[in-house]
Amino acid sequence: MESKRNTSSFRDPSGYVFIDDETIKRVVNPIYFEQYHQLTSSGFYQKIIDKKFLIAHKEISKNESQIVLQSSKIPFINYPYEWSFLQYKHAALLTLKIQKLCLENNFTLKDASAFNITFHEGKPIFIDTLSFDFYKDNNPWLAYKQFIMHFLGPLVLAKYFGQDFLKMLSHNLDGLSLQKLSKLLPIKSFFSPTILTNIHLLAKYDKKYESDKKSVNNNLSKTSQIKLIDGLYDFIQNLSVNENTEWDHYYNQINYNDVAYQFKKEFTKDWFLSIKGKTLIDIGGNDGTFSRELKDVADLLIVADVDPNAVEQNYKQILKNKEKSILPFVADVLNPSSNYGFNNQERFSFIDRIENLNLDGCIALAVIHHITLSGNIPFAFSAQFFSKMAPNLLIEFPTRNDSWVQFLLDSKREFKDHFDFYNEANFESDYGVYFEIIKKIKIDSSERILYSLKRR
Amino acid sequence: MIPLYFDPGTGALIVQFLAAAVAGVLLFYRTLLHKIKSIFGINNKEEDDFMDETESKDNQE
Repeated sequence: MESKRNTSSFRDPSGYVFIDDETIKRVVNPIYFEQYHQLTSSGFYQKIIDKKFLIAHKEISKNESQIVLQSSKIPFINYPYEWSFLQYKHAALLTLKIQKLCLENNFTLKDASAFNITFHEGKPIFIDTLSFDFYKDNNPWLAYKQFIMHFLGPLVLAKYFGQDFLKMLSHNLDGLSLQKLSKLLPIKSFFSPTILTNIHLLAKYDKKYESDKKSVNNNLSKTSQIKLIDGLYDFIQNLSVNENTEWDHYYNQINYNDVAYQFKKEFTKDWFLSIKGKTLIDIGGNDGTFSRELKDVADLLIVADVDPNAVEQNYKQILKNKEKSILPFVADVLNPSSNYGFNNQERFSFIDRIENLNLDGCIALAVIHHITLSGNIPFAFSAQFFSKMAPNLLIEFPTRNDSWVQFLLDSKREFKDHFDFYNEANFESDYGVYFEIIKKIKIDSSERILYSLKRR
Repeated sequence: MIPLYFDPGTGALIVQFLAAAVAGVLLFYRTLLHKIKSIFGINNKEEDDFMDETESKDNQE
């Protein structure tokens, strides 16, 4: 049996997470015993778990020096810098919902890190069981500044400048600097009373009292704090991104006829059944059109796409259809999330997390020409990448006669000759190093080939 | 109370009073606007609540 302390869990002295033979356990330190007992005996833990706001846990052992909890396992932890705008918004709103529920029950959130939330079974969920503390009458919200640095800041930047700014937390694990945030925002943001008070004024006060460590309590009634929370909730709920969407019913635009499209869907389903798959990653999965075909037979379908708008469309469908098995997230194959934080072991890379899952299959439909021709990635490199995803790969290869391939090649102008290697024979020989070809079939009335590959 | 592992910021604690006051005024006007609109039969389109499934279940209990 292997027991190992989770390297992401060290900030809060109330306890820590460790992994014990594939299960997730959490040690509660004596410093947090009083809170833990009250949260349990008052029924608050049960209430918030029943609402599916907080990850479920059960107590498995207890002595004077520690209490050990076992938490339900979330297979794939995803991070704020991998969410679309709507997902980010919902993570922020869930944090506010939880704080409001806390206040109504005389508790408070002692931190509001965006890393306390992840997406699981189609919804955001709070994963830090020890983030709660007793509410003291008329005390302000201690995690307010953190909430702004982790949630409101990135959301407002994305509103004005686009969704790329949602990725800023990857390089600022403790949140964005308030002063920089205030400086970056345009003049017109001063006319929004919510941004004016919660960012610009906050940044000013934060700077002014920077070296003053006096304690502040008794300045905010519970009713006022609830107004603050409601005001932020209302503002965030109505936020939208000021960015033209690239995503515009992609599948209605591209060059498939209905027959080829239907064939591809059915082939994908047959392939997944043939590998007896339960779990899958869809690389370049767009809004999840093809993965969605598998939702009745699969347990987990991770759909990654570089375009946050496509990811958002996928998430909207998940909400609408109440789908639990599909997990959409933003990932750029040409630059996937890295290992971040202390010792490079705090937030884990895309590839590490996927490899840990031991997925059954990977699909990469209409993506290899982008990787090869837009990203200039040699076949040997992309083959190695895909071999890390899963033992079974379904990959679509658009040949040189495909209009998209033609377009991408033409965009290379004088450099076009450099891509003479882009053909079936080279694809097969380079992928042959990592995979054996199980099946190869040309999609009728298109210039594309589907390969079913098995890792060597 | 548990000691915090980060500095909550003295300024951030003070400013909450002002931010809450402004939020209170905004919420008041919004509610007023809703009421006026509903008198004239204009329905406000609210965004779907993303946690509605569990909450509506709670309401039935």
